[in-house]
Amino acid sequence: MVAAGFVDFEIASRTDVYAGAQQSSSAAEFGTLGITFRARKASSDEEWQHALAALSCDIQGS
Amino acid sequence: MTHTIAAPAVDLDGLRRAIQDEYALVARQPEHGFHFLVGRPLARLLGYEEAWLEAIAEPTIASFAGTGNPFSVGSLQPGERVVDVGCGGGIDTLIAAGMIGPEGRAIGIDMTPAMLEKARTSAATTGITNVEFRDGFGEALPVEDGWADVVISNGVLNLMPDKDAALREMARVLKAGGRLQIGDILVQKPVPTDAKEDISLWTG
Repeated sequence: MVAAGFVDFEIASRTDVYAGAQQSSSAAEFGTLGITFRARKASSDEEWQHALAALSCDIQGS
Repeated sequence: MTHTIAAPAVDLDGLRRAIQDEYALVARQPEHGFHFLVGRPLARLLGYEEAWLEAIAEPTIASFAGTGNPFSVGSLQPGERVVDVGCGGGIDTLIAAGMIGPEGRAIGIDMTPAMLEKARTSAATTGITNVEFRDGFGEALPVEDGWADVVISNGVLNLMPDKDAALREMARVLKAGGRLQIGDILVQKPVPTDAKEDISLWTG
């Protein structure tokens, strides 16, 4: 998200949108949930660069 | 340190055809039964307010197949410009149109002709004129740079293999400081590489 230009990322809600569906799915096997999230495009290049610099975690796998 | 997540090695054209087939069925036969919930029961589950749906044509509500509620994370203001990426039958675009009023403008974009047809018909039958539906892909949005105050999307990002490209496009069409309000899915367990490359699992 930050690499694409966004800041202030937040997941606001999680809902099981697969339970009760008429066809079976692989969704449950992978713990899949519906979510709603928000973020904001950085207001300036300075804000974006600050957000990029603040990243300090490594992402495992792909 | 920043990371990009490599897009899986999946046949993009084949995947798009499979998704178009699946969602054409959602458009034409929403009662068919799918591996995901659809329609008004799903909208209720996700907290869509009845007042939002009052102006929406029933066929569009019936083909709703979102995974979240983009309006639950921030209201849209009169006069704003909105882009709905992967608008499907148009439910969120049309709800947005009501929130932004006649001075605002909403553009819904989808790659499935049957969904676009449904969205356009719904807008016409309900007299909603501040919307436009365009054919296009999420990775190459047919919208000019910096046009939108808000980008919404619902259950679509997960269907695009190159999520970095999709997010960069969303950022491109937004004004500086513009908002992203998205419903999508969260996968809590690792998905094996061979599963990521299996088109049948993308749609099922």
